[in-house]
Amino acid sequence: MIRYGVDVGSTTAKIVSLTPELTYRVTESRNWETLLEGIPANEIASTGYFRHKIPHKIAATEITTAIYGVKEYLNDPEVIVDIGGQDTKVTDVRRNNFIVNDKCSAGTGAFLEFIAHYFGLKVTDLSKIHHKAAHTININHTCSVFALSEVVSHLVDGHTIEDLIASIHQAFAERIAQMIPEAEKIVLIGGTAQNRGITISLEEILKQEIHTPPNPQIINALGALRYGEEKEE
Amino acid sequence: MKTLGITALVPPEIVFACGFKPFDLNNIVPTSTTRPKNKLCAWTAIWREQIMNGELDLDSLVVVAGGDCHNALVDGQRAAEKIPAFYLFYPFDGNKEYLKSQFERLSLFLGGITDPGIMKTVKSVKENLMKLDQLRSQGVISSELGFQYLISGCDLQGDPTAFKEELSRIPRERGGDLASMHRVALIGVPPIHHDFHREAERLGLHIVFDEMPFEFIRHTGKNINELAESYADYTFARDLKYRFDFLKEELGKRRIDAIIHCTQFACHHVLEDGMLREHLQCPTLTVHSDLPGPVPEQLKLRIEAFSELLWRK
Repeated sequence: MIRYGVDVGSTTAKIVSLTPELTYRVTESRNWETLLEGIPANEIASTGYFRHKIPHKIAATEITTAIYGVKEYLNDPEVIVDIGGQDTKVTDVRRNNFIVNDKCSAGTGAFLEFIAHYFGLKVTDLSKIHHKAAHTININHTCSVFALSEVVSHLVDGHTIEDLIASIHQAFAERIAQMIPEAEKIVLIGGTAQNRGITISLEEILKQEIHTPPNPQIINALGALRYGEEKEE
Repeated sequence: MKTLGITALVPPEIVFACGFKPFDLNNIVPTSTTRPKNKLCAWTAIWREQIMNGELDLDSLVVVAGGDCHNALVDGQRAAEKIPAFYLFYPFDGNKEYLKSQFERLSLFLGGITDPGIMKTVKSVKENLMKLDQLRSQGVISSELGFQYLISGCDLQGDPTAFKEELSRIPRERGGDLASMHRVALIGVPPIHHDFHREAERLGLHIVFDEMPFEFIRHTGKNINELAESYADYTFARDLKYRFDFLKEELGKRRIDAIIHCTQFACHHVLEDGMLREHLQCPTLTVHSDLPGPVPEQLKLRIEAFSELLWRK
């Protein structure tokens, strides 16, 4: 019987159970085995890049599990934006259609980690810093490395770190926005969705509310659990 | 027999009739480990690089430049520094007289037609390939096996008689498992990954239509007039509406569930994606490839997800 949903992505590993209340644990992907200690494979529904590697009874891609996971919180989502560590997936639930950016890291969690590392910050601090910005500057480069070069030149010109972090969030959100089709109910999931700076920037660009479920980083693990339960029936 | 390198749809009927053996340079790319310098599209850059390095035993080259691939036009001019090259231009408007003049010029470049009777042989091989295409669509043979022969419709592996003989030996052994899969049309350039059809089938997608190989096999004729008449309908060279209308009809005949649109890095065909989706109104996965080799993990994820979503509908 499926009792656990496990999502091992490029950066983090998540395990979710509903017994009956939601419980979850998160660790770095390279330590995924620690999450599964004592759990038999036939109780696991897996997703994420490692879905076929980890012990499991049922596996599904993140595109499918995102739909199941989001529906735990929101009826009839139209578009799901899943910002992962190394790619961003935009799924149009209405049309069973999806696109993934994988040629460039500029719209992924890796880009924000790269920027945070440069400034000696934690990724989790970026949101707080965003709120202290006075204004934003255009970041024109779409390549992460060149974008950082551009940020450095603005730093040399005297702009504050706060303004630059907010500007990076703006550039990040613009890149994601290009992938999102017109819809009324857009949901943002993935660890990066915890960064309010990204959500606010996206809402400003799209001029609409962006829904973010609680614990957005575990939605795919939760969706894997629900998908596994359904397939078992 | 002299060997003629060709880069896309060059009538093998004319090439054989002029005493040359056609060799489609694109067929070396999916398994190639060459990493060319100054690359936009890997297809054209790899054969250009191999010609420049003297790695291919070719006597001449025909580059399909007009109405198809502009990268080939440039890479072909570079390759022409090493071997004699001819540039073939298909008409955008389907003008048969213009195409006939192009084919006559091609014949002159190759020294003139010396064996006109061989065109009939090539035509009969293509008729067999059309039957093979139907068998694949009916689920009698796998996507991969069918594709392996259909893609050779461009050069008939250099020997129409031996190729025809090989076609007659293809086992017809598949059945029920293919019938339970989603029926998929592969539109655009052929995938640059050599195991694409096998991987798609492993993930539950039976590819029953390959656009470019179908163009290779459906055009033929027994003389220049008939060839110009037929090849003038080469859809890749025509306007997009013409091509999409043709595809719509062909996909309808084959009861397609979904489309995989294969595009290539730095190729103008990428721009067609939105129009293709609007016109064909069918669940579509767009694949954007770059270098050759086996299907990368990221792409397997997309194919698997696409297959899952098709079961949801």
